[in-house]
Amino acid sequence: MTEATDLAERAGDRDPRVGLRAVAALRRLLEQLEAVQVRSARNQGWSWQEIAAELGVSRQAVHKKHGRL
Amino acid sequence: MFERFTDDARAVVIGATACAERADASTVTNEHLLLALMEVEGARTAFALRALGITDRRASLEAALADARRRGGMTKADEQALAGLGIDVGAIVARVEETHGAGALAGDRKDRRWWSGHRSFTREAKQTLEKSLRIALGRRDRSIGAEHILLALTAVPGVVSEALADHGATYATLERAMFGGEADGGTAKAG
Repeated sequence: MTEATDLAERAGDRDPRVGLRAVAALRRLLEQLEAVQVRSARNQGWSWQEIAAELGVSRQAVHKKHGRL
Repeated sequence: MFERFTDDARAVVIGATACAERADASTVTNEHLLLALMEVEGARTAFALRALGITDRRASLEAALADARRRGGMTKADEQALAGLGIDVGAIVARVEETHGAGALAGDRKDRRWWSGHRSFTREAKQTLEKSLRIALGRRDRSIGAEHILLALTAVPGVVSEALADHGATYATLERAMFGGEADGGTAKAG
């Protein structure tokens, strides 16, 4: 009846909806984890440059995204 | 769009901002819209929420929302989908909290004082307000009221619609409770 049990029922039959939903959820989880880790690194005195290097993105990108933290 | 809002609907939008402020949140979310909506007295929404038992179970509803927030805003459907990939959200939340403290994944604590004057609505909250307009249009109602915002909250996928549904408030049950027999005018199904 709920969306969750509905999805569980479909999980077996290769419904693209399940796979797509998983990707979307994973992306959101990734964003949350990134925010936690960046905040933690900043609190420990890491520079934006150092954080960017670990994340494999440009310093500008990471600052633009998390600069407000 | 805002000029078509009734006084009740305006009270919800303004109340949601106040709610976010009290919670020290940096953005206004659907959760804040719902909490503000529950404060509106005497409206059709209040009667419907009472009739469906939501008012009496407010503590349980708020606990469900807090739990979802702690889990990074994941719905149960999200968690099921991730479990299908072998990802255990519960385990991830536990690990992150072990290292970074309880509620770490909820994120939205505002350590941004200088930013405090301005709180924007999240994408989902904006989606809810847009949806309330579309619901009002679909029902051929002239203005957007708190009842349309409430219906929209059940129609926009996310933790709020899921928590409401778990407590018995879906688009259909609310529509029936608020508009009763005249519901045939706008039976636009929830997305």
